[in-house]
Amino acid sequence: MGIHFKTDETFRDDFSYRNSDAAVLRFPFPFGEDTYRYSVNIEPHVKAGPSPAFEHAFDVDEHYVAECRERAIVLDHDPKRCQVLPHMMPAQWDTLELLMESLSTDYPEHFSLTRDGTAWHWINRPLNLDQRFVFGDASTLPCEPFEYITRQAQGDFTLQDQRDNNLYVDGGMVTTQADWSLEFDIGMSFHEWHGPVPLAHEIGVFDRALQYLLRLQYGHPVRRLNWTMTINPRLDTSPENYPDWGPDRTTLTAENIAGKLHLRVELQTLFRLPRSNAILFGIRCYLISLQDIERVKKWHKRLHRVLATLPPELVEYKGLIRFYDLLVSRLAAMDDGTPLSLGIQPDQTQLPA
Amino acid sequence: MSDQFIKSRPVYQSLAVDSSGLRHLLVSDSPAFSFAALPGQEAEIWFVAAPDQEGRTRPPEAGGGRCFRSPRHLIDRLDHRLARERMGLRLYASGTEDFLWDVFNTAQRAGMNKQEIFQCHSGTKARRVACVHCRTFNHAVTTTIVRCEGCGANLFVRDHFSRRLSAFMGVKVDAEVAGDVPPAEQAYS
Amino acid sequence: MIVEGKLSARVAEIELLNPTLKRFRFVPEGGGTFPTSPPGAHVLVTLRDTDRVWQNAYSLVTPPDQRDHYAIIVRRVVESRGGSHFLHDMLKAGDAVELGVPASLFPIASRARKHILISGGIGVTPFLSYLPVLALRGANYELHQFCAGDEVETFRDLLGTDAAGVHVHSAGLGARPDLAALLADQPLGTHVYTCGPEGLMDAVEETARGLGWTPHAIHRESFGGAKGGEPFVVTLARSGRSIEVGASQTLLEALEGAGIEAPCLCRGGACGVCLLPVVEGLPDHRDHVLSDAEKSEGRLIATCVSRARSETLVLDF
Repeated sequence: MGIHFKTDETFRDDFSYRNSDAAVLRFPFPFGEDTYRYSVNIEPHVKAGPSPAFEHAFDVDEHYVAECRERAIVLDHDPKRCQVLPHMMPAQWDTLELLMESLSTDYPEHFSLTRDGTAWHWINRPLNLDQRFVFGDASTLPCEPFEYITRQAQGDFTLQDQRDNNLYVDGGMVTTQADWSLEFDIGMSFHEWHGPVPLAHEIGVFDRALQYLLRLQYGHPVRRLNWTMTINPRLDTSPENYPDWGPDRTTLTAENIAGKLHLRVELQTLFRLPRSNAILFGIRCYLISLQDIERVKKWHKRLHRVLATLPPELVEYKGLIRFYDLLVSRLAAMDDGTPLSLGIQPDQTQLPA
Repeated sequence: MSDQFIKSRPVYQSLAVDSSGLRHLLVSDSPAFSFAALPGQEAEIWFVAAPDQEGRTRPPEAGGGRCFRSPRHLIDRLDHRLARERMGLRLYASGTEDFLWDVFNTAQRAGMNKQEIFQCHSGTKARRVACVHCRTFNHAVTTTIVRCEGCGANLFVRDHFSRRLSAFMGVKVDAEVAGDVPPAEQAYS
Repeated sequence: MIVEGKLSARVAEIELLNPTLKRFRFVPEGGGTFPTSPPGAHVLVTLRDTDRVWQNAYSLVTPPDQRDHYAIIVRRVVESRGGSHFLHDMLKAGDAVELGVPASLFPIASRARKHILISGGIGVTPFLSYLPVLALRGANYELHQFCAGDEVETFRDLLGTDAAGVHVHSAGLGARPDLAALLADQPLGTHVYTCGPEGLMDAVEETARGLGWTPHAIHRESFGGAKGGEPFVVTLARSGRSIEVGASQTLLEALEGAGIEAPCLCRGGACGVCLLPVVEGLPDHRDHVLSDAEKSEGRLIATCVSRARSETLVLDF
């Protein structure tokens, strides 16, 4: 059974992006408990979990075609959203191989890969692409291999080079980011690019995460969820375009918040790559409107409890200050305080209209 | 307004010869530098003339001390030199933050790793600020807020530092509410 | 790529390279392909005899794009811990074996401008997978293989007799390789990689440091260097079982010998997969994973290489 792609929706201008009921119920809601604190919340990325979003190496959903079109628009305005430093060419081919193999294995009705030695044939049916090329010879592709394949995937990707007992963000495709700049951060070490994150440094989160990732083993990827909030279903909340989307944060009112405010969840996956020994970091972004969250009772109440107890530094860092009180008081009105099940699963299989 | 908690800021040391190296080259963006060479360790010294020299360089000294007209002049020559260098070299840089990272990036392109390069900050603490919106570099910034020479936005100078660009990040301070610009404070000089 | 569990394989071919060296080719059970292997990777090979199990780590000698089979080369050693003896004398074509996913603990340095590979004897194996990769990338490299006079032919055949940049040196008794000559006067950005006897690797490291190379430019293969020590007794706190660790076996081998499935991957103190919490006793740390601070705290132990200074060691396992 194939995925029914919503090919016309947009993430800018008229913001016609919507989740189907099925997409709401499979949403990777990030809060398994009533409070949120930083931790090294990394687990093996096995093909199973409390949301169907975890069931494939790279999740493809109903928004695939529209997200690829949105990426193309961003790159057309700003080609530097995709950059890879020159020493990372082996990692570019590793990425192409990993994505093509994973997509064609996990979604054979949509993607196909056939190989005869270095002669590869790739078919992407949702995007109507048919490409024959020589693996290892970038001149046989329309652009460099990392850009070629990440234009055909949902979510951002970065490449981490491992050297000198550290990780360096030495490449990326970054068009759907939560306010960080590839052009500014490329080349940074692990602690440098996490520099702006408050609180976590002091409790050693990044020291431990780095030690863990330096030992990440090939064939055994890991994952974690991260989150923030975005006004409108806007994928490109880049610092580059902050003058354009920053004013959105002042537009929320009691009347429009449910439709306009979106919880933004990143399913982050980390794969060790074979030829390069680099790490591919997938940052897959999911958006859900507040009004859709409110259709899932457990998520509604849990979101209230998490936000009400969020440390002020995180309220500021995640850009929630301007609408925090409005949001928390709205959520509080429908939270009766009953205990909620642990974990992120929705605990219901149907949504109210 | 401050975000001094950010951890991407480099921490600099004072310079002393790393005796595991075989050859030592110190580059400085001014004639004034402090370098504790060990007795018996010979270090070659390159420096930039004071601005009042107006382009004059002194003749090269017997000890290898060489004088350059500008940081750019020195770094171009360094690039050429490193392309011919051999393993065992240690490179020491003394100067302003943007000079230190221009030197580092030149050395890294030549194949040197961070264990072979040492940096000491001296001189002005004025910042090079990269506008994250339009990518213009604003030089010699000494205030917490600066008007971008490229796009005109009032930029808050974040403490987030890119070694590759050798610059701090500037972000439009009133992007959410136009005109909501706090007074600029003298902070980096 | 997500791999759950081990790779099932079958021995396709065993080739005698010389009186003590054999090459084993493994193919995927039921056809298909293996995962792309990292250059310099090793695999954990699980071997089952009627009454015991061995898990040994061997470098793959096949390049990344060779996915229809993997190959390893094994020397039959006299003081074998069991694995090489089993591989040489018992394993037959067609036998089933289990392979771990190839693990990369000896990668090619991404920013190196020149690569110098120095190996001794069978230590050349990881470089057999490096060479085609470096050649394909158009990299600047040289390889120096040191071996006994009567094995020069074998290694020349393995490395390709006329390959550019490849040198096989006879290192007979008393003849010490002139490493300083190899490492002197190299361009900035050169990295050296070494694999072979500890003495050779130590000499390479020492020579390079003496020539002003920094640790980031020196890479040595670290798995398989476990040495024995005083026997001790390990107690597993959760089951209460006590197991004797002999003078010539590792803590991990003692656990496995008692039928306990303990976590492991590299078996050389490099990957950290085998770390177990220490409840009581003084570890004798020999791994490359724990920091000096962690070692002095003594709360974790890498079972594949480390031992105990105390007569007993209690683990939370």
